[in-house]
Amino acid sequence: MTAIEWIRFLIGSLFILTGIVIFFTELFGVFHFKYVLNRMHAAAMGDTLGISACLIGLMIFSGFNFTTLKLFLIVVFLWFASPVSSHVLARLEVATNEKLTEYCEIYQDVNDLERELAEKSADETVEVVEDTKKREGSVS
Amino acid sequence: MELYHTLYIALLALFSFLLLICLIRAVKGPQVADRLMAVNMMGTMVMVMISVLALLLNEGYLVDICLIYAMISFLAVVVLSKVYIGIYEERARQKNKEGGTSDDSH
Repeated sequence: MTAIEWIRFLIGSLFILTGIVIFFTELFGVFHFKYVLNRMHAAAMGDTLGISACLIGLMIFSGFNFTTLKLFLIVVFLWFASPVSSHVLARLEVATNEKLTEYCEIYQDVNDLERELAEKSADETVEVVEDTKKREGSVS
Repeated sequence: MELYHTLYIALLALFSFLLLICLIRAVKGPQVADRLMAVNMMGTMVMVMISVLALLLNEGYLVDICLIYAMISFLAVVVLSKVYIGIYEERARQKNKEGGTSDDSH
């Protein structure tokens, strides 16, 4: 093989290696988290990023022809399909699980959540200010 | 070429191993959503395997099959979850009806 072919092979295998690492991360996350709505986050990562990295590597191997175009089409289709299927699965879980409040908090009114978040961020800014004051005091 | 051939065979073996781990999740998963999610993951990995196979055998039409596989696996997840939500609501309605009559009898 010539030098250019070696470079193509190396770049392609680098992309495929990235994809495999992402797939392993996905599997680790799926077995690590305790609840479906948490696991879904890990599972959706491989659907978009993992398969795009693997197929980009295969595109580089395949060269400039129609197969490359079709592989690109698969990636584009999955970018649209994967969020939709994750959303539908999350709706399935929320609609059918009767003990949902054991796993996560549910706010009936969005304004409650926003108020709580605003209070929390206000507390944090106060803490940060106090911390900086303490640090400045210790320095001086 | 020999190098590409070896790489493709190794990729196929690795992805079949990952597929087996996904199957464990599908068998273990306590919720229905867990199992459907595992099936979705398996579909993604099979897509990569079909694309590798297309380059290994040098047959372009296998990539078309991969595209159709992607569409069908997406459709399967959406339809199955919609059907399951429908079944659950139907059962809940029946249970409510029975609960109301049994309360009257008591």
